[in-house]
Amino acid sequence: MIGKQLLISAALMLWSVWAVAQVTVTGKVTDDKGEALIGANILVKNSTNGTITDIDGSYELKVPDAFVTLVVSYTGYTTQEFPLKGQAKLDVVLLEQATLISEVVVVGYGTQRKSDLTGSVTSVKADEIQKIATANPLQALQGKVAGVQVSAASGRPGEGPVVRIRGTGTLNGAAPIYVVDGLILNNIDFLNAADIESMEILKDASAAAIYGTRGANGVILISTRKGSRSQKARVSFGSYVGQQQPERRLGLANATEYAQLINEIALNNGSQPVHPDPTVFGVGTDWQDVIFQNGIIQNYNLNVSGGSEAMTYSISGDVFRQEGIVKSSYFNRYTLRVNNQYNFFKWMKFGHNIAFVMSDNNGEPGGIVFNAIASDPTVIPRDENGRFGSTSLVSNVSNPAAQLEYNSYNRGYGQQFAGNLYGDIFILKDLTFRSSFGFNLVNNRNKSYEPVFEVDNKQRNPESRIFAGFYRGVDWQWENTLNYRKEWKNHRIELLAGYTSQNITGEGIGGGRLRLIGTTENFFFLNAGDDQTATNYHYANRPERYVSTLFRLNYSLMGKYLLTASWRRDGSSRFGSERRFGSFPSVALAWRVIEEPFMQDQKILTNLKLRASWGRLGNDKIPTGAATPIVSNGLGAVFGTPEQLLFGAGITTLANPFLQWELSNSTNAGIEIGAIQNRLTLELDYYRRYTEKILVPVPIPDYVGSAGNPYVNAADVLNSGLDAALNWRGNVGKLGYRVGVLGSTLKNEVKSLGTGNEELFGVFISGEPATRTEIGGPIGAFYGYRVAGLYQNAEDIAKYPNREPVKPGDLRFEDVDGDGIITPDDRTYLGSAIPNLVYGFNFGFDIAGFDFSADFNGVSGNKILNSKKMARGFGIPNFESSFLARWTGEGTSNSEPRVTNGGYPNFNVSDRFLEDGSFMRLRSVQLGYTLPKALLSKAGITNLRIYVSGNNVMLWTNYSGYSPEIGSENVLAVGIDGGIYPTARTFLVGLNAGF
Amino acid sequence: MKKHIIRLFSLLALFLGAAGCQKDFLEVQPQGEINAENYFQTADHATWAVNAVYNQLRAWDVIAFPYLAMTDIVSDDATKGSFPADAQRIATFDNFTYGPSFPEEVRVAWRGYYRGIFRANSAIEGIPKAQMNEMLRSRLIGEAKFLRAHYYFNLVRWFGDIPLIDKQLTEAEFYTKPRAPKAEVYNLIIQDLKDAIEVLPEKNQYPTADMGRATKGAARGVLAKVYLTIGDFVNAEQYALQVINSNQYALLPQYNRIFLPEGENSSESVFEIQATALEDSYNGATAWNMIQGVRGTPNLGWGFNLPSDDLIAAYEPGDPRRDATILYVGEVLPDGSGIVQDNPDILNERYSQKAWTPNHPGLQDNGPSNIRILRYADVLLIAAEALNENDKPAQALTYINLVRARARGTRPPSVVPALTTTDKVQLRQAIWRERRVELAMEQQRWFELVRTGQAATRLTPLGFVAGKHELFPIPQSEIDLTGGIITQNPNY
Repeated sequence: MIGKQLLISAALMLWSVWAVAQVTVTGKVTDDKGEALIGANILVKNSTNGTITDIDGSYELKVPDAFVTLVVSYTGYTTQEFPLKGQAKLDVVLLEQATLISEVVVVGYGTQRKSDLTGSVTSVKADEIQKIATANPLQALQGKVAGVQVSAASGRPGEGPVVRIRGTGTLNGAAPIYVVDGLILNNIDFLNAADIESMEILKDASAAAIYGTRGANGVILISTRKGSRSQKARVSFGSYVGQQQPERRLGLANATEYAQLINEIALNNGSQPVHPDPTVFGVGTDWQDVIFQNGIIQNYNLNVSGGSEAMTYSISGDVFRQEGIVKSSYFNRYTLRVNNQYNFFKWMKFGHNIAFVMSDNNGEPGGIVFNAIASDPTVIPRDENGRFGSTSLVSNVSNPAAQLEYNSYNRGYGQQFAGNLYGDIFILKDLTFRSSFGFNLVNNRNKSYEPVFEVDNKQRNPESRIFAGFYRGVDWQWENTLNYRKEWKNHRIELLAGYTSQNITGEGIGGGRLRLIGTTENFFFLNAGDDQTATNYHYANRPERYVSTLFRLNYSLMGKYLLTASWRRDGSSRFGSERRFGSFPSVALAWRVIEEPFMQDQKILTNLKLRASWGRLGNDKIPTGAATPIVSNGLGAVFGTPEQLLFGAGITTLANPFLQWELSNSTNAGIEIGAIQNRLTLELDYYRRYTEKILVPVPIPDYVGSAGNPYVNAADVLNSGLDAALNWRGNVGKLGYRVGVLGSTLKNEVKSLGTGNEELFGVFISGEPATRTEIGGPIGAFYGYRVAGLYQNAEDIAKYPNREPVKPGDLRFEDVDGDGIITPDDRTYLGSAIPNLVYGFNFGFDIAGFDFSADFNGVSGNKILNSKKMARGFGIPNFESSFLARWTGEGTSNSEPRVTNGGYPNFNVSDRFLEDGSFMRLRSVQLGYTLPKALLSKAGITNLRIYVSGNNVMLWTNYSGYSPEIGSENVLAVGIDGGIYPTARTFLVGLNAGF
Repeated sequence: MKKHIIRLFSLLALFLGAAGCQKDFLEVQPQGEINAENYFQTADHATWAVNAVYNQLRAWDVIAFPYLAMTDIVSDDATKGSFPADAQRIATFDNFTYGPSFPEEVRVAWRGYYRGIFRANSAIEGIPKAQMNEMLRSRLIGEAKFLRAHYYFNLVRWFGDIPLIDKQLTEAEFYTKPRAPKAEVYNLIIQDLKDAIEVLPEKNQYPTADMGRATKGAARGVLAKVYLTIGDFVNAEQYALQVINSNQYALLPQYNRIFLPEGENSSESVFEIQATALEDSYNGATAWNMIQGVRGTPNLGWGFNLPSDDLIAAYEPGDPRRDATILYVGEVLPDGSGIVQDNPDILNERYSQKAWTPNHPGLQDNGPSNIRILRYADVLLIAAEALNENDKPAQALTYINLVRARARGTRPPSVVPALTTTDKVQLRQAIWRERRVELAMEQQRWFELVRTGQAATRLTPLGFVAGKHELFPIPQSEIDLTGGIITQNPNY
């Protein structure tokens, strides 16, 4: 206590020397729970001299003398006046006026009060993010933000989800960018949920246009946890431990059924049955039992944060460990983060936010999930002598048990050092210069080993092999901004100008060898292999570089008329020299109707704001070098006696030197309503995002001869819809409760596909396109035959003719073009993988230290192509149980055809394999108990909460696969389930403690 | 205040200074790669680009499943092979149930051959820009044209009218190329081969390090076959005789040595796709041996493309070529390294001995065999057939009997006896049969059957429909992508 007073007096003396005419007051504004209030308004009474608190709740204000009175206000809190009485430090506790806290949100290159926002920004706070046990915090956004769809690409440990903000605005990379404490990144796989303070999702152009060409798919800003000034060291510890299990199992044909189906295939092909008595096989092996396990997931996080006048600090360490639900897969991550800020000088402050991350993981054997579905159930995994059964003979897929034994050494190790260093210089009273240098250094290493083994002719490896690779990525980003804030009378103005540059490079090196001299892990190095068999590679990515200039104006008139205008000019090395630069303007207006005199008499509404914005953004997510064709080497030819491989190189793929930016014109109109002391809030936004000149590798006919498809600025796409979020908070006696609903509708429509194109085809399955993108329809719509029924007999076949021969029991396709014969012209639109509604709802309550919350989310109106059922290929893979309802004679079925092993018509892309992808999920449910403070204080504990929780607890869907979430970064191939790594259901117990 | 202003201006200077150098900053080069704009500057570039055209000859698309399915398996010489469930879709080539979209092999072949043409076009367009020796320049262009002709020759025989691509297409042309009449495709093939004949050296004029490159003789020989295929017997005769009279080639004394490693690039070799099994990579190999290799014991491959009963019956009694072509169960391998064991899962188990290869570095997929495209025996039979059609039976007999004599070897004259008939029809039939047995399992039979009009009579029992199956279906994807500018072949 004495120390503190000394410090204050020392500081006072120092500052009074420095500022003769002025006194600087500092302090912190918190709520009654000690939480920092960010953006609280501090005003010298009867003047326009004021400031707002920063992200730590701290403020700093120059006042004429130390005896003025400060007026501290914050939306949702009671405004209070505090006479300074000669102090240079004033900490303020504000009391909540209504139940809902009015937020300050982080925006691009700054912060803003939510009430001042003109654009559409949603903020998600730490406690919501930490509800989901996951390596990747983006998973936690699922069902939390109107207009944001988060879908798992798989349940593989450590793998990030696919995120779409307001639909799919491009046929190309549609992922948003992530800005972590100012550093622009393409993924945040290295971030810990526990280290995150808040995530801000910038949805419309007014918010995102400051990111110009990088912003067209939306921007997610992430602020990591920081310390606050004048805060005693606070230690917090959080941990959870849980178990993950497959969310679902598939029904598969058992051994007897499989043998029966094989017999029928033989009969249907005109040959003899293979198995005289299928029942001898009994139930056989369900290979899912072989590959799945219950995995442990656990996390431990320790943080120390605090601050003095001279500096603030937050240091945290985190251990995350996750076992996959498929055996042998895991992901572990260890993080150290140091976020400090130093206020050593009056005229500047500087700081850093730095994370050092180490991770290791193991990948499951390739294709094992599909193999577990397709493998021969009549074969036992391993006999009593330990020999693996041969599954490739008939089903032609590898024995998954043997794969686990021999192919499960697929290690990855990562080190990442990422963060930024920044300095703020206070040039003039209202003018601040900030320079921030961000960096992201990545060192990855991977290693795989395969021993000598022989399960059978196909599943074998005669020579042991090792592969090892290293990858190093070095990215930096330098941003310089000038910020000018001025308030006078009824005007408040903020100007931002900046210049930024970024450089992204990467380099990989590695090699492989055969015939290792040992079989244990201490031999898994290249030098243990035969150098006669050495192969190697070494490459560097073409550097990606960006330079940008940016400007923004925020203007507020009387606190009720708000204007934001921004302009960014971007240059990108991804494009040819003539098309490198683009300009991206935006403008937005808002009107806080609630502040108008005519609103003062009513008592119901506590907030009413209207806003509208327009802006243009860009997207450049194409592979580097798509504008210039690269000469492929490694195209050698053999000549001579003796024969020698001579070097060869040539152009194999076309490129397009005339590529230019994709442009996205985005309009947004929104209304925000708060009523009954902001207990009820409603936020409603209509958006319209028109993207033109979309870059896409357009499938071209094979006769062109290009080994890949060249990119062209081919298409226009319109996304439009409504985002809505409705929340209610109330209490009944001591029970506090809340209910929230959010949803967004989405209409995705292709408006143009460029000269001459009426349609674009996506993925080809069995030589036919599975998706077609056509004008007037959604991106990547499923395309194929519509099933009308089955041919029951020869008369049917005569009645509904086919261009290719069919037999009774085969699928009968609809004659869409009505020409009396089934031809490829009868393929048609079958549905879309893009849902037309994405929603979430939640409720929670707390009473007597207990808290409960439940979060649901879902999508509706989308389809999934269950293509794993179509994969027949070599051999006769096992069948899912749905095949058992097959046609076996006239009238036995009119939907499930006779069993065949691929080919026309039963395995062509048709709605036979198309399923409803709508689902609703109980995403998380949590019950916590916070121990009474009185009990804890004796033990020196500030707070302690224990909880039990579940993720993906319940799933309601008609989809028959492992998971209805089939995310894909390839927008032309979304919703195609080829046998993904299933998502997990998780149950955990956890605790959070503060000291 | 002054201090502030200085600070402000120094910062502004920094700001603008950084903004000033942005143009250079954005100028980045690919790392470790040649940009296409900088290609074709040197003789090396020109050589590499032509090597890349040869490289595609060994691609899966060009010589593996699609090729074997659409030449031998679809003909009466061979069946799919392996066990019934394995790659069942290939059985559609045995019973003529393949369609425009299934199985994928038809599309894969189409794609692979057009990619070869793409590389050839790129070389032919680019090499004139390079700074290099003129002799080498014209030779390399000649090689690229020879290879382009080779790719087109198979395509036109499989598909009939096809898009004629003789340069790199521009964006506007991607979707708008209609099928060119067969005759136009043949015109390009003939012109390319004539250009190649002009500039390519004879086989013995190449240094040994260049063995396997296209030669004048190869271009003439292929041109003779092209003329034979389109029924221009005068030209077929002329070019076949040019090869014969060039004194570059001779039949190997022993038929059963042709397909052993020692037979590669032998005196009988006119053109073969060069391959080799390297120790450190599989970059010199093909999948051709593996696909046709013995399945089971010894474990040499996948066991596809098995010689048919019909082929066995086609040999004259005692013709030693039968045993040299077919590897039976119980037979000792040509190098004595093992005996082919019975594999009960495989029907009609017997293998193509021409695809057998002795032990080599790497696994089965490191297949080292050169794939014979044109042998001297083939040229002799082309000459014989053309001469017979041109009413010169005596001369025709000379050439066919050369082939038969070599087959007979040291055996008595009653084995594969010399032919004597001068009846045009009889001799024609004899030459056709000679071609079948001499060139069996060398991926010639389908083209022979269609060329000679025997396909319908020979294959109808297997499911062949006259007026339809002479041509393969155009891949459905091409029709879809061009919105119907590419049309389907009749009756598919």
